[in-house]
Amino acid sequence: MNTVNLTINGKLVQAEKGSTIMEVALANGIKIPHLCYEKGLSIAGSCRLCMVKIKGRPGMEAACTTEVVEKMKVITSDEEIDEARKLIVELILSEHKHDCLVCESNGQCELQDLAYELGIEKIRFPVSKSIEPTEDSSQVILKDPNKCILCGRCVRACAEITVQRVLDFAARGSGTFLISGLDQPLVDTDCVSCGACIQTCPTGALTEKLARFQGRSWEFRKVQTICPYCGVGCQIELNIKNDKIVKVYGVEEGPDNKGHLCVKGRFGFDYVHHKDRLTTPLIKHNGKFEEASWDGALNLVATKFKELKDKYGSDALAGLSSAKCTNEENYLFQKFIRICFGTNNVDHCARLCHASTVAGLSRAFGSGAMTNSIWEFEKADVILVTGSNTTETHPVIGNYFKHLAAYNGTKLIVVDPRAIELTEYAEIWLRQKSGTDVAWINGLMNVIINEGLYNKEFVENRTENFDEFRKVVSKYTPGKVEKITGIPEEKLIAAARMYGKADRGSIVFAMGITQHTTGTDNVLSLANLAMLCGNVGREGTGVNPLRGQNNVQGACDLGALPDVYPGYQKVSKAQVRENFETTWGVKLPPKEGLTVVEIIDAASKGEIKGLYIMGENPMLSDPNLNHVREGLENLDFLVVQDIFLTETAELADVVLPGVSFAEKEGTFTNTCRRIQLLHKAIPPIGKSREDWKIIMEISKRMGYPMAYHSPGEIMDEIASLTPIYGGVHFDRLGGQGLQWPCPSREHPGTPYLHKDKFTRGKGLFTPVDYIPPAELPDEEYPFLLSTGRVLYHFHTGSLSRRSKPLDGIAPEGFLEISPQDAKKLRIKNNDWVRVSSRRGKLKVKVKITHHVDKGVVFMTFHFAESAANLLTSDALDPVAKIPEYKVSAVKIERI
Amino acid sequence: MKLRNKEKDVIALLNKAQRENKHNYITEDKLKLTAQEAGLSYSEVYGVATFYSLFSLKPRGEYVIQVCDSGPCHLMGSKSIFKVLEKELKIKVGETTADGRFTLEEVSCLGICNEAPAMMINEKVCGNLTPQKIREILRELRKKK
Amino acid sequence: MIKELKSPLRVVLENYGRINPESIEEYIAQDGYEAVGKVLREMRPEQVLSEIKASGLQGRGGAAFPTGLKWEFTAKAKDAPKYIICNADEGEPGTFKDRAILEGDPHKIIEGMIIAGYAVGAHYGYIYIRGEYLLSINRFNKALKQAREHRFLGEDVFGSGFNFQIEIHQGAGSYVCGEETALMESLEGKRGNPRFKPPFPPSSGLWGKPTLINNVETLANIAPIILKGSDWFRTFGTKKCPGTKVYAISGHVKEAGLIEAPMGITLREIIIDYAQGMRDSKFKMAQVGGTAGAILGEDMLDVPLDYASLGEKGLVLGSGAILVMDETTCALDMLECFLNFFKRESCGKCIPCRVGTEKLLELATAISRGEGKEDDIDLMLHTAKVMQKTSLCALGQSLILPISTTLKYSREEVTEHIKGRCPTGVCKI
Ligand SMILES: Cc1cc2nc3c(=O)[nH]c(=O)nc-3n(C[C@H](O)[C@H](O)[C@H](O)COP(=O)(O)O)c2cc1C
Ligand code: SF4
Ligand code: FES
Repeated sequence: MNTVNLTINGKLVQAEKGSTIMEVALANGIKIPHLCYEKGLSIAGSCRLCMVKIKGRPGMEAACTTEVVEKMKVITSDEEIDEARKLIVELILSEHKHDCLVCESNGQCELQDLAYELGIEKIRFPVSKSIEPTEDSSQVILKDPNKCILCGRCVRACAEITVQRVLDFAARGSGTFLISGLDQPLVDTDCVSCGACIQTCPTGALTEKLARFQGRSWEFRKVQTICPYCGVGCQIELNIKNDKIVKVYGVEEGPDNKGHLCVKGRFGFDYVHHKDRLTTPLIKHNGKFEEASWDGALNLVATKFKELKDKYGSDALAGLSSAKCTNEENYLFQKFIRICFGTNNVDHCARLCHASTVAGLSRAFGSGAMTNSIWEFEKADVILVTGSNTTETHPVIGNYFKHLAAYNGTKLIVVDPRAIELTEYAEIWLRQKSGTDVAWINGLMNVIINEGLYNKEFVENRTENFDEFRKVVSKYTPGKVEKITGIPEEKLIAAARMYGKADRGSIVFAMGITQHTTGTDNVLSLANLAMLCGNVGREGTGVNPLRGQNNVQGACDLGALPDVYPGYQKVSKAQVRENFETTWGVKLPPKEGLTVVEIIDAASKGEIKGLYIMGENPMLSDPNLNHVREGLENLDFLVVQDIFLTETAELADVVLPGVSFAEKEGTFTNTCRRIQLLHKAIPPIGKSREDWKIIMEISKRMGYPMAYHSPGEIMDEIASLTPIYGGVHFDRLGGQGLQWPCPSREHPGTPYLHKDKFTRGKGLFTPVDYIPPAELPDEEYPFLLSTGRVLYHFHTGSLSRRSKPLDGIAPEGFLEISPQDAKKLRIKNNDWVRVSSRRGKLKVKVKITHHVDKGVVFMTFHFAESAANLLTSDALDPVAKIPEYKVSAVKIERI
Repeated sequence: MKLRNKEKDVIALLNKAQRENKHNYITEDKLKLTAQEAGLSYSEVYGVATFYSLFSLKPRGEYVIQVCDSGPCHLMGSKSIFKVLEKELKIKVGETTADGRFTLEEVSCLGICNEAPAMMINEKVCGNLTPQKIREILRELRKKK
Repeated sequence: MIKELKSPLRVVLENYGRINPESIEEYIAQDGYEAVGKVLREMRPEQVLSEIKASGLQGRGGAAFPTGLKWEFTAKAKDAPKYIICNADEGEPGTFKDRAILEGDPHKIIEGMIIAGYAVGAHYGYIYIRGEYLLSINRFNKALKQAREHRFLGEDVFGSGFNFQIEIHQGAGSYVCGEETALMESLEGKRGNPRFKPPFPPSSGLWGKPTLINNVETLANIAPIILKGSDWFRTFGTKKCPGTKVYAISGHVKEAGLIEAPMGITLREIIIDYAQGMRDSKFKMAQVGGTAGAILGEDMLDVPLDYASLGEKGLVLGSGAILVMDETTCALDMLECFLNFFKRESCGKCIPCRVGTEKLLELATAISRGEGKEDDIDLMLHTAKVMQKTSLCALGQSLILPISTTLKYSREEVTEHIKGRCPTGVCKI
């Protein structure tokens, strides 16, 4: 065994070989004073407070740097050690600003605690008095150099967690000081405002700017919950005073974030208390909203929907569920639509991001989700990232990739048309032309097969249809692929060898792969690639779609989709349907419903008359917005349930105020299938109500009473109907949550899928040929427009744009254009241009950057003022019905 | 790769940048260039450049006079050397003359303790200093254009 | 040329001043590169290791670690590649012996490095020369070029199949970069902060790979030992500390300069026989081992100056620097000077040293201005003791010696300052 027996202060303890005295002591509840050590960061050994004595060795040794050995006898405290520590703390204090009375860290300051514990009443040394100004240029971080003790934790956090390397020390000796960039104000540096430095700072040197004078640590109520932004599902701790969230910390035990957060998760919570929050139901009279009572609004909603159903039939109604809402709410929503509306016309924004993933991976493997877990990336030798600007869209994972490339020897292959940040950490970057993914993936496989790098045993034993597939791939020689994709032959071959030879290769993708008319084909191709190399069913391998919204995985899992019930059980299968009919006690419609874009289309054609939208904003998120507006305006009756009066809510007849993540209980399922508990932190704002309660009220009024007392009860019902959630109950979800499939109460959950067998039995190879995008640049519209996100905003910005720090850092949208094209069009940075496509036009500011290739422009879709989706094409993938956001043709004019 | 480029000798790059500058310092542009070339972040390159006493990030004189004040030189009278220099140049340690020709600095042992007290002017070492000798050296330097 | 004080015995300084250091031919004419030839043609790496071990050579950089043992550790390390580093940072005040060897006999170091490389299985060597030593750097560069031209460096040296390269890295003004792990950080292009140990360089050094680091003088001993044998080497010096030592003497003596003498020579012998005695005034004290070394009073004039004899007394020989001070010297003024050096050269990484050096200087300065208290003297001693026990590297750990030994001999003199009087009149009160 690799264990070591030792004693600490006479107590016998066991430890893993290679661990340090500090780690062992902490694990055994033995306190050793320290300032520079922090779990999760590299070891500095610089504060020298953790000095201990080891029997048989002269002098003292630092506990944080000394490895334990068999039979070691450690003494962590005696008179000599304590006196040494006392003197060291006195030294620190002799140059520290003592304004504990107004210090933000009072009560959670490690230096203060030490001084207290060591009983330091007076400082024997002359005290330095020079005072440096506080640095407050950042929107979120306040830096007080007078309280910096140079422990270096922030420097290491910045370099090792976020890998931004913005902080470091300058000068030396007693003159040493903390700098950002070239000793610049933080705003002028590469700081991404993740706040990792604040979380680790032991004193008040780095603090939350916006939390200043808002409360002290002992005044806060602390509630652990889940970040409401992206699909990483970071666990956060809300610090609340007087029912107001003041600050947020990352939870160190969070299995997927390990205490790390991005700027949105840490600082983007103030929207919860924004003055624009909807606090009462609204009913539109003569084009104007008027405040209404809940009863009035709910009765109206139920009556109108009943009327429309009676008049036009069930299929004239539809519902859009929400990837922002909990699993329980999604479950209730689809149940409500299927029962009370009597239709399967229920869908949600997953259609717009990962419908092709679900379609493709279900077909190839049998399950449409991330095959592996986030922490497993550490085990991969090679990570192939394509169509994912991970550091901006899933920052905690993106930073993890940077960390692995920088410190773990993991090789990154990035395939992306834009020069995203990850390309700087990549061993190989392939820059393909947008929309040519099938071609380069086939090209990689062509090389891998030709060079015999594929896993013959895996292919033979675990897959089918290899020969058909091989025939198609054989056409994609590197030369041919270069012509289609623009990727130089030798680079393609190098990447093929790197992935092909890796023992463990992991594939990561997001919307750059899925949002194409060939989205499903792209995903199938990636699945082919992984199977070809035997990279499925082991730790650190797999095909890993990064899901966008905090609970988009859950919304899919729980059947907010037109073709499946919870757990991806087919609506079209009679046996399945009967099961749900029995439990729910109603007849269910057998016909598959319409998807998001189809619902909008049907609305504009007058086929859909009534629509219930919960927490979605198609008026910014969907392609071809003019067409969306037309559709929504054509409805007889539109109900929008949200926390803000979004662009979509403005068009509604009735608006119902739901609540934010902080005001409810339930679960979210993150991108790696982890179901985690959300805890209610504050009561609903105003008269707003939990979304699950609103659904129950409408359902009751439409003749189908639901009687759940809590989300936990709803989950119990889910478990009984959904095999992959079969063992999921609230009482099991503390701490680490559970990863589905979790079929029974005893099952521990599943970190990675398809271990010895694919969900569908054998993995299916699908031959896929390259098809060009639906709309390519031409003479009239000469630029290829791609869309995406930025770090500081989320989705349609309904939350992030109402966060002061986030909107403060990134207040407006822009069009990225290459220097060559800018020169040709004679435009400069920050000039305004008009961008138009066949579907619409808008005005936007220009940002000239090497990030985009010539002929390509890029926009985000967060900003209503310059809504990129006015331009995008609503051409759909024929299988998954996902629109081609990533490729549309536009023209650009100077104004 | 944005990460540290092991092939690059960072100190050599900074040294070159400083040597090429008439005012014996590393300009911000050069710092940035060095960072790019060596795969360091800005803070890292700044941290390195300010760690070493031979580097300066502020403009200095054409001639940087570095007087040793470590044990042997101190014992042999470096204090009086400083006095003479301060008087002759009309500046204090750490300052540069108004005409931008001379900077006076205090440094640690130069490794010519057998000729203490000693100093270094740009890269040239001078030992066995006396007030007389210093005045002569300054006169020579002032003559050069 | 540094004055070399009549040294009859020459091992390390064998060629110093006798050959043109810029001519490899002259070096070769003095049996240069014969040792490399011998090693590569006739000896297995293990044989080289045992010869160096048998010689009893100890590191001349200050810590006096047995060289053979260090080589063996590096040879046994499993990881690859391995590196050889020659520590030519020589920053210890009062020390200028490495400069003499670099300027006067650069090929001898190259030879030592090649042999070390062969013995431990390294193919790459770095020499880290302090930035102030321009002449050394230039001479070494020339020597490297010549050695490459003569194919003593590069691929397949002496047709043995052994490859070895050497590259110069230059320092930029930092004493602590002479500390071996700080030197490696610096060489890697980082701030020169020492690393905590273990791991020690033989298992994890430069870029985390096994690394052998030796001082210039240590490496200059290698070729002679290989050519003439460990038994010959042991005929010099003492049993515990064989060989010769290059002492650098400065201060109030008639002749300052370098002396190569057998280990164990006494201070009195050095001052009288080599340095021609004191200048104008009587001997008061000497600091041996550089600024981090101890002050020795008259009672120590006959103690043998070798690692073991001084070590027994809790003192150090360090780099072998000797600073001789006469009666006009104020002990407190010198202590202030030493503390100023440490404050300026502390890397600032660990708290005891970063703040401790500053506070010690503040306390000493206050006393020298007549503003101190008797308690301050004890606080200084106490602080230095805590620094010794807790500092990360030997810089912060070694301050105690100059402080405690100064107080041992001159506590009364220091106390006089508190009373408002500098006995030598050096301090302005
Ligand atoms: C602060 C400090 C400065 C040092 N400076 C030097 C130096 O300039 N040259 C040197 O050879 N060793 C120096 N050393 C010692 C080195 O750390 C190391 O012991 C030496 O290079 C080992 O070589 P050796 O075994 O051949 O002596 C220094 C140590 C410390 C703590
Ligand atoms: S003892 Fe001094 S020089 Fe050594 S690591 Fe600590 S601060 Fe740096
Ligand atoms: S915690 Fe060990 S030195 Fe700081």
